[in-house]
Amino acid sequence: MNPQPPKLARQFFDWYCGHAPVDDLAGDLEELFLLRVAQKGIFQAKLFYWKAVFSLLFSYAIRRRKKARKLSYKPAFGLWGNYLKVAIRNLYQYKYFSLLNAFGLAIGMSVSLLLISMYSYISTYDDFHEHGEDIYSITTTRTEGIETIDYASAPLAVADKINTEFGGAAEVIRIYNSFVGEVVFERENIPIRGYYVEPDFLETFTFPLLHGDPSALSQPNRIVVTESTARKLFNSTEVVGKLMELKNQGLFEISGVMRDYPKNTHFRFEALVSFSTLPTHFISETERWTQYQNQFVYVRLNQQADPQLLQEYLTALADQSTYQSDIKVRYAVQPLDEIVTAENYNGIGPKWEISGFIVFGIIALLILLPACFNYTNISIARALKRSKEIGLRKTLGGLRQQIFIQFLTETVVITLVALVGALGIFLLIRTEFQSMMVEAATLDLGITLKTALLFLIFAVFTGLIAGGLPALHFARLNPIQALRSKVSNSIFSTLGIRKGLTIFQFALSFCFVLSLVVFGRQYNTLLHFDFGFRKDNLITVDLRNTNPELVRSEFSKLPGVQSVSLSSGTPALSNSRIWVHDPAGDSLEVTQLFIDENFIADFNLKVVRGQANPPVEKNERYVLVNEQFLEATNISPEEALGKTCRVEGNELVIQGVIRNFHFAPPQVPIGNFIFRFNPDHFTQANLLVNSTDAFTLFTALEKTWKELGDNLPLQAQFLDAALQDSFLVYRYLLKMAGFLGLLALSVSLLGLLGMVVYTSELRLKEVSVRKVLGADAWSMTYLLSKDYLKLLTWAILLGIALSLFIYQTIFTRIPDYQTHLTVWDVLIGCVLLLGLGLLTIATQTYKAAKTNPAEILKME
Amino acid sequence: MKLYLGELEELVLLTVATLGDHAYGVSIQQEIESRCNREISIGALHSTISRLEDKGFLKSWLGGATAERGGRSKRFFELTPSGKKALNETKSLRDELWRLSQLKWSGAK
Repeated sequence: MNPQPPKLARQFFDWYCGHAPVDDLAGDLEELFLLRVAQKGIFQAKLFYWKAVFSLLFSYAIRRRKKARKLSYKPAFGLWGNYLKVAIRNLYQYKYFSLLNAFGLAIGMSVSLLLISMYSYISTYDDFHEHGEDIYSITTTRTEGIETIDYASAPLAVADKINTEFGGAAEVIRIYNSFVGEVVFERENIPIRGYYVEPDFLETFTFPLLHGDPSALSQPNRIVVTESTARKLFNSTEVVGKLMELKNQGLFEISGVMRDYPKNTHFRFEALVSFSTLPTHFISETERWTQYQNQFVYVRLNQQADPQLLQEYLTALADQSTYQSDIKVRYAVQPLDEIVTAENYNGIGPKWEISGFIVFGIIALLILLPACFNYTNISIARALKRSKEIGLRKTLGGLRQQIFIQFLTETVVITLVALVGALGIFLLIRTEFQSMMVEAATLDLGITLKTALLFLIFAVFTGLIAGGLPALHFARLNPIQALRSKVSNSIFSTLGIRKGLTIFQFALSFCFVLSLVVFGRQYNTLLHFDFGFRKDNLITVDLRNTNPELVRSEFSKLPGVQSVSLSSGTPALSNSRIWVHDPAGDSLEVTQLFIDENFIADFNLKVVRGQANPPVEKNERYVLVNEQFLEATNISPEEALGKTCRVEGNELVIQGVIRNFHFAPPQVPIGNFIFRFNPDHFTQANLLVNSTDAFTLFTALEKTWKELGDNLPLQAQFLDAALQDSFLVYRYLLKMAGFLGLLALSVSLLGLLGMVVYTSELRLKEVSVRKVLGADAWSMTYLLSKDYLKLLTWAILLGIALSLFIYQTIFTRIPDYQTHLTVWDVLIGCVLLLGLGLLTIATQTYKAAKTNPAEILKME
Repeated sequence: MKLYLGELEELVLLTVATLGDHAYGVSIQQEIESRCNREISIGALHSTISRLEDKGFLKSWLGGATAERGGRSKRFFELTPSGKKALNETKSLRDELWRLSQLKWSGAK
């Protein structure tokens, strides 16, 4: 064996020269080295070799060749074009698989597109404010005992303190967000709502005025309305200087009309009222520190001021100003653009908590990853078909990275095709999805340049994830083995993982299907839920400042109305809680409803003991309690009557006991409940009707209301319809689970289809030989399907375990959840999944089994 | 533009011309070393050759692979017509200067 030059030096040389043609130089080096060895021995020669390498590295020769190489590399772009061309041709050649893959990826990506467009819109929230970077809101964390609550609001007193004591603030804005008014018009009053704000509000935040000047809010009883509010009220935006009367609040001068603000702000208002309109002591001195509701503090710092300083100041402030010793309060600085995604209560406007995004993200991933995995799976499995091509490419000098890029390009092209499909699905489900969201009005899922770009990046990224593994696999194929059609065993070593992932996919689909069944049953149960009171033939009418007695007497006269009762709300839909002292003197939290003497009968409530028609009077004396109340206070129903409990300072006598009924939504367990008879609290009339002609009835109602109504439109609806609406969330859950289940299932089935088609094709020869030897089509179908049947069975077993676990951990935590997971649910899920899976498998395997063996074997 | 020949460039060109069909990196270096008793690194040599190629005085082609060089091929060099012309011009300029100078040529032994 000849002496070898130092390996490291040679590698270094090769690395440095890269793709420049230096074969002859390396040859020169080697020849010189051998000469040296002969003359001076191996050690000297090695040293010399190193020296020669370095002399070459710094020589013009290499520089020149590298430069020439770079110039000649210009058609590298052409190479990319070639990758693209080959990719498209390949995809076209294997149309069936390409379509299958594209379809699967499209489904997988669709949900992610929703997430991306949503997040990209949310991230633009409040980015239009000129001083946005310097604006911070102050949030409060209140700890009482072990209970910690984060509020988006802060006591107004903090604003005063910052104003007087903290130097770094350019402006401190106080907002009181409970401005509600009713603009008085002759025909019909129009309600508006908005904020009380300081004059500087319009300068700090970028809300430009169309008419009027920025000092518009410097005086009391001044109001700035938005453009659309102005149109709504006066049909014109030229309304500056106009006076408008707000019911019970006096005259207000419109001092400005604001251009409509974009959707992407965390403020929501129709009008801004000058802060000075509020009486100086609209909240008491102590409440200024302890009250958080509706009060918001925003600080605009001087430019480039460090918010940390403000934070330190606030920490110190919280330490000195604790009013109640057992309550700990902390204030924090929150940048403007983080407000909308912050996790806290009592926000001033719409909220998009980040945790919601995380949950949504996980769901999107659960749909996307199986789709990616299917692609990877099918691609690797098809290695056999492509191995000849790869072997030839490699033999002809294709570099590993070139083949890698070739396959990645193929995947990226397919994901881009899939993106088009995903976009289609996205556009299809967008509206539906938005209608399910509580804060839908604050979301704009239109496709902008930014989202389009994000979609594109996402598609390419998905392509890289899905195609990375197969590309790596193909790039590493040994050309000799590949050409001999001997696919290395490394694929089959991953068979276990592949099987596992397929099983997991189907298990996931199974969970979705199962949750669909459960939600469906829950919804159905709720629709027919027995609340313990009458739901049908009842119409609730919002009283809206009319005289309750008058409404009752007038409505009673209408034909078709049997009886009218008054109440402070609708059971199961609205209720208020209060602390009372039970007969034993202990305090007890109860839910209350104010009713009149007709209510119990109209709503078909059962009186267990005593009577249920006490007089309705301003200084109420009687109360009705439910059975649960007696149970909680340890009074037997027999001795309950005549006992008193103290409610808001009054001793009320228990006059009757009502059978338990659901006064709250079904998921809330039945708790302590009292009926009270104070006429001051009536807000709605409940009409018991026997008319089947709802239209005539409502027309009559409208007519009567016009005479009674306080210039406001009639608000009436059937009780059962209102109850159904309150279950809307379940319907949405049903839809969501159904849709996601459909997606997950389609992705899994597509993956399965791809695998089955591929393996059946692969085993065609075997099937043919068997058939020639006498096997029939059905036994062949079974032979080809057998493995997949096993997979499906495992998937279902895992799915059952998984859904049981989910059910145990999530559903059982929802109190009084009506539906339970039954054997039938599981069976329905099994049958559905097995049926679809079998259909997918059998159609393909049967097709393979039916092929004429002569067709296949004639070439052999 | 007139291209001048540096001293080493001239030496390399002449050596290539001398070696004829066997002018490649190592042979050129060995030739210069033995004839001029001058050590020249392979890097410096190839730099000069590359410059001469830039100037269009040399052209090259790749020979076949050889066993003693680790299977690597040789790059052979050859004078181009303009290379020959440049050598001629250099020589005639020198001769002219010699003729005009007071020096006496002692001649080669």
